[in-house]
Amino acid sequence: MALDMEHLLLQVQKPARYSGGELGSVMKDKKDVFIRFAFCFPDLYEVGMSHLGMKILYGLYNREEDTWCERVFAPDADMEQKMRENDIPLFGLESRDPIKDFDFIGFTLQYEMCYTTLLHMLDLAKVPLLSAERDEQYPLVIAGGPCACNPEPLADFIDIFILGEGEEVNIELNNLYREHKKRGYVKRDFLLDAAKIEGVYVPSLYDVTYLSDGRIEAITPRDTAPKKVRKRIIKDLDKAYYPETFVVPFTDIVHDRAMSEIFRGCIRGCRFCQAGFIYRPVREKSPETIDRQSHALCQSTGYEEFSLTSLSTSDYSRLEQLLPQLLEWAEKEQVNISLPSLRVDGFSEELAKRLNVLRRSGLTFAPEAGTQRLRDAINKNLTETEILETARRAFSGGWNAVKLYFMNGLPTETKEDIRGIAELGHKVVDEFYHLSDRPRGKGVTVSISVSCFVPKPFTPFQWEPQDTMEQLQEKQKYLLSEIKTRKISLSWHDAKVSFLEAVLARGDRRLGAVLLEAFRRGFNLDAWSEHFDFDAWMDIFDSLGLDPAFYANRRREKDEVFPWDHLDYGVSKAFLWKENQKAHESHTTPNCREHCSGCGAACFKGGICVEDGQTVVQ
Amino acid sequence: MLKTVRLLFSKTGRARFISHLDLNRTMTRAVRRAGIPLWYTEGFNRHPYLTFPAPLSLGYEGLAEIMEIRLEEDMPSDELVSKLQAVMPEGLCVFEAFEAQRKAGELKSAAYTLHFTCPADPVRELLAQPSIFVEKFSKKKVLKTVDIAPAFAGAVVEDVENGCKMTVTLPCGGEGTVNPSLFVTALKQKLGEDIPCHVVRTALFDPDGCPFR
Repeated sequence: MALDMEHLLLQVQKPARYSGGELGSVMKDKKDVFIRFAFCFPDLYEVGMSHLGMKILYGLYNREEDTWCERVFAPDADMEQKMRENDIPLFGLESRDPIKDFDFIGFTLQYEMCYTTLLHMLDLAKVPLLSAERDEQYPLVIAGGPCACNPEPLADFIDIFILGEGEEVNIELNNLYREHKKRGYVKRDFLLDAAKIEGVYVPSLYDVTYLSDGRIEAITPRDTAPKKVRKRIIKDLDKAYYPETFVVPFTDIVHDRAMSEIFRGCIRGCRFCQAGFIYRPVREKSPETIDRQSHALCQSTGYEEFSLTSLSTSDYSRLEQLLPQLLEWAEKEQVNISLPSLRVDGFSEELAKRLNVLRRSGLTFAPEAGTQRLRDAINKNLTETEILETARRAFSGGWNAVKLYFMNGLPTETKEDIRGIAELGHKVVDEFYHLSDRPRGKGVTVSISVSCFVPKPFTPFQWEPQDTMEQLQEKQKYLLSEIKTRKISLSWHDAKVSFLEAVLARGDRRLGAVLLEAFRRGFNLDAWSEHFDFDAWMDIFDSLGLDPAFYANRRREKDEVFPWDHLDYGVSKAFLWKENQKAHESHTTPNCREHCSGCGAACFKGGICVEDGQTVVQ
Repeated sequence: MLKTVRLLFSKTGRARFISHLDLNRTMTRAVRRAGIPLWYTEGFNRHPYLTFPAPLSLGYEGLAEIMEIRLEEDMPSDELVSKLQAVMPEGLCVFEAFEAQRKAGELKSAAYTLHFTCPADPVRELLAQPSIFVEKFSKKKVLKTVDIAPAFAGAVVEDVENGCKMTVTLPCGGEGTVNPSLFVTALKQKLGEDIPCHVVRTALFDPDGCPFR
């Protein structure tokens, strides 16, 4: 006998992940609804529910009276098994209706390792994986998020990619669909019309041809599709939609707090960082807007904590004005403010104390590289003096643990740079013991975490080869041998995962076959190490005659046609190349607030690019 | 000493999948949304005073569950209830508030109804046995065999549409608790298959058999 949902939920771990009914979840009467949208996050509930973009778009879609947006996450293994046994297709958490009967299935692509989960979810929904096999009786499958800046490995599966920020373009697409549905929806007609909206990329309208050596020859639009698709931005964040409430989960999730976005983009331009380029230009919300939105969110959700989110919170230009304003009500209402990725050095003692900065976030630095030479090459402007001074201040304040984040395999890295990581760690340890007022009776712990550099599209390092796995493992071993004290603990990322990330990040359409085969072999939730099987992945590449090293470890020529060259994120290829050359000369580039370097993002006519000279140049 | 206020609430429908730990978090946030001045414990890790004298198993519905809170300042019961009710998620409903009369440790027993998707006969047969042995984990995580027949001696079974319904009052509280799931386990042993069972806790009692307040 097939179990009904209620009994089924009693047989799985943490059923509150599938039950729906959380505060803030939106229920609608189906007879008033014309368009059904399934917002899918290709990972578990705990991860997906922590994602701000989903909260924004969920509220945005549900503000449309005739549209009902529901949430969908990847079920954990036990739930999936029960669903398959009882013939329950993937459903929306709110209505529990199968999403195969919806109008849209929308995925957010936050990291490459979720691609297999995406295919797995489509299958669980009983929707054909290939775009070409889905006719009018199936939902349109759309996707957005940072990985959409090179979506080519997913081009066979997704009908529409949305480039850039979604607040306006999603609604435009929804409006267009409404018109089409009213007069009888024909998929091909709709896709052609949709491709006319700026920020909408329909991969099936482009032909890709290859050279005999495997590089791309050309990407050619068909019919009326534009030659280049430009991403969308929201020009004025003070006027943009922001949810007044969040869905408040019952069960514990990764980031269980209210979130207040304070700006988009980043002034820094660290050369390895994709987010630093694809989210340009920097646009700030005013302190008044942030204050109002944060307070409203805390009151409507009951959250006891909220975080000020952005790519680099200390770079918010009016932080000194904003924080006291927020603290005024937060202290009264027992609400904690959390400040991720914050530089502690810029704060007065009093403000740091009120914010409980250290207790909240611990003391974390991301120097990324071990020597000033390499930090200059990657344009990470954090000096050793700054790190040591802040550490000293924290130690005198009673702190005795520091976390340092680094990367191995950065372009131009030498043995000396790797040794520099260990040396910096030792200097922080020494700083502690040189201090006369250090915490007594306690030792110091310096945790060094080293990830592997993954070259990404739309960064100055998009031309660079990734170190081979052997090189990376060799470097990890060397670093370990350079650490001379047990006060330092060292951890690193699995080079195999980083290798596959590098393949997918700069991959082309031919990788669709790899993903399809990975799906056929049952790969799912590859972002979780217990599910990731590297040898099986390599076996797939072998069987399809594709060389993963071609994508990961190859240096590209200056003028090579990249799989993402028909996508326009504002920042020009010429600027990125110039930045690449400067990296090899270890020359830094000033940040956007100091000096405009003419990256190309000014084409969006927004944010820091158009503010008057007084605010642009400090 | 601050007054301890008890709130009666029901937990039904989708809300029955909220675990005990999650319910604590959910209710704390609800009280904060309602703008009710909860009393916070003193010390380094300040947290609001909010407890449940009788935790309800995941998946059970409860019709008159109890939550205890302490307030910074007095508030009329009606206001407390209406403010809280306005901010509750689906399936949670607060309907009464009163000052605590009994100590939490004086909670004695609880009434349950169990809806089985099987005919009444096997349930009655099992109840008629002089002893019903099932294995359970003790508080020290040791597996031991217990006889639940005495606890279920007063159970009443009747036929209903699509199955049968058992009504039973079981020990619940400081002096010992019998979870109705033990009977479901025993029935599974007897029949050799899983019988879906829907459990509802309908009331909590004090030693005099009166509703616990």
